Amino acid sequence: MFGQLLVAGIVHGLIIGLAALAVTLVFGIARFPNAAAGDTMTAGAYAGLVAHKASGSLLVAGGAAVAASGLISLLGYLLVFRPLARRPVASLLVAAIGVAFLIRAALGIVFGHQQQVFQVPLAWPIEVAGIRIPPMDLTLAGVAACALAGAFGVLYLTSIGRQMRAVADDPDLARVSGIRPMRVMVTLWLLAGAAAGIAGLMLGVKTVVAPEMGWEGLLSAFAAAILGGIGSPVGAVAAGLLLGIAQEISTPYVGFTYKIALSFAVMLAVLLFRPRGLFGRVEGVR
Amino acid sequence: MEAYLVAIAIIAAIYVLLTLGLTLQYGLTGLVNFGHVGFFAIGAYASALISMQGMPLVVSFVCAAAIAALAAYPIGLVALRLRDDYFAVVTLGFSETVRLAITSEKWLTNGVQGIPGVPKAFAGMGIGMAGAVATLAAIALACGVAALMLRRITRSPFGRVIEAIRDNEDALRALGKDPARFKIQVLALGSALAGVAGAFYAHYITYLSPDQFIPLVTFYVWMAMIMGGVGRVSGAVVGALLLMLFLEGTRFLRDVAPDLISAVDMASVRLGAVGLALVLFTLFRPQGLMGDYTRR
Repeated sequence: MFGQLLVAGIVHGLIIGLAALAVTLVFGIARFPNAAAGDTMTAGAYAGLVAHKASGSLLVAGGAAVAASGLISLLGYLLVFRPLARRPVASLLVAAIGVAFLIRAALGIVFGHQQQVFQVPLAWPIEVAGIRIPPMDLTLAGVAACALAGAFGVLYLTSIGRQMRAVADDPDLARVSGIRPMRVMVTLWLLAGAAAGIAGLMLGVKTVVAPEMGWEGLLSAFAAAILGGIGSPVGAVAAGLLLGIAQEISTPYVGFTYKIALSFAVMLAVLLFRPRGLFGRVEGVR
Repeated sequence: MEAYLVAIAIIAAIYVLLTLGLTLQYGLTGLVNFGHVGFFAIGAYASALISMQGMPLVVSFVCAAAIAALAAYPIGLVALRLRDDYFAVVTLGFSETVRLAITSEKWLTNGVQGIPGVPKAFAGMGIGMAGAVATLAAIALACGVAALMLRRITRSPFGRVIEAIRDNEDALRALGKDPARFKIQVLALGSALAGVAGAFYAHYITYLSPDQFIPLVTFYVWMAMIMGGVGRVSGAVVGALLLMLFLEGTRFLRDVAPDLISAVDMASVRLGAVGLALVLFTLFRPQGLMGDYTRR
């Protein structure tokens, strides 16, 4: 029982971790909590669903999810968040909610409100040390690992990744060092969108695809981003895993509905007692 | 037709109360409260449950306001230590947690089945229009009192302090004022207004369920505030009326042309319209229709 929950928790944690990665990148560099991240996830799930129906391949579905979510994320930046860059953070917050509603409304109109599922072949679970692991969980974990490797590769091995981290560290210093903000921002939003898209695809395969799915996962993503330390990609993924496992393991005790409330409690506790999170740097303000 | 107009006016007045609460919190003090609906829900359920224990409505209304204000107190304590963006996320999480608690604690709230048969306000006046008109009068009075209170606040030393919190908290600190106390008071007062709005809602609709208290309601109120003009009492009233026009307009459109668009699609269209309004107003007209043009 415990092992089963642990496996479910890891898969769920990878989903939260990827979504938290999208949130923390934007929070660290563009400096506001992007409430549209959840609905960007949903867009990825629907794109993946359509591609999967057409091709039957999960790989193609992943590509479609990344492309659709990345595009939507970039459009949101160019049309809404970029013009608002110099405004108070409250404007960005309200605009992000507006973008989230727009994405969800569009998906609702195009795809309807019926829950849809990925038609994946059923397979016998593999038994490892008495724990039954569904092969799909292994596939999804592999997808997540590839996505994370890609994201961390961009962040830590490329020049643009180094520039992104420099902007996250100190935007003014980055600017006087000759880093072009536009290129950094475009990469940032593409990367955040792609991470959200993969998270949405995984969530869709694991559960169902519906217009509300991303919004409902948003709070967990925020909690993981805060727990991991804002602006820390490693922290976001680690905290996502932690939160995913904690949610699954606590379900038998606190019930299904309080899973989300657990995220809220974790978030509050972190903000009050250790605002820089697990991996964050000390910051003057929070 | 009169019954329809009275019904719309009552709902509009409930939104006016909610918008006034948010105007106090965000418009005047700059607290980014994304969990307004949570306090609305607390007020609604508190008043419904207390009145169903046989208490008179006067008592249940006072309790609704007090409980909503009390619920705001811990959130206020948290708020003191958080920047705007974190506070927004925390309040959003709070309102979702309230909704989850209402869904889960069946012994108290009857879960998703909801609470039917909440006592109607002014039920003693018979089942005709008289009761509804009396309800409208009472809530209009409440709106009037709240608007006057806000207007008084903006012209008082208290109002100058909270507007200073909004404009430059560091400068205020440097002048030796402690923003903490003011923030908590503002949150509690705004939430009490939301609680009273919830009580009116509960005793007018007479049926409560968790799905009436989704975050969308919070952003209806934000939309009303932003359309009317942030930080203006008159703007809150105008914005809430515009919101009502929008909500009823979309319903009306569906009634006259039911084949044109299905009910679920209409819900999406509404959601999209709210989203579009939030985006366009923040982009192009952040001060709203009746906003303060002396500042951005």
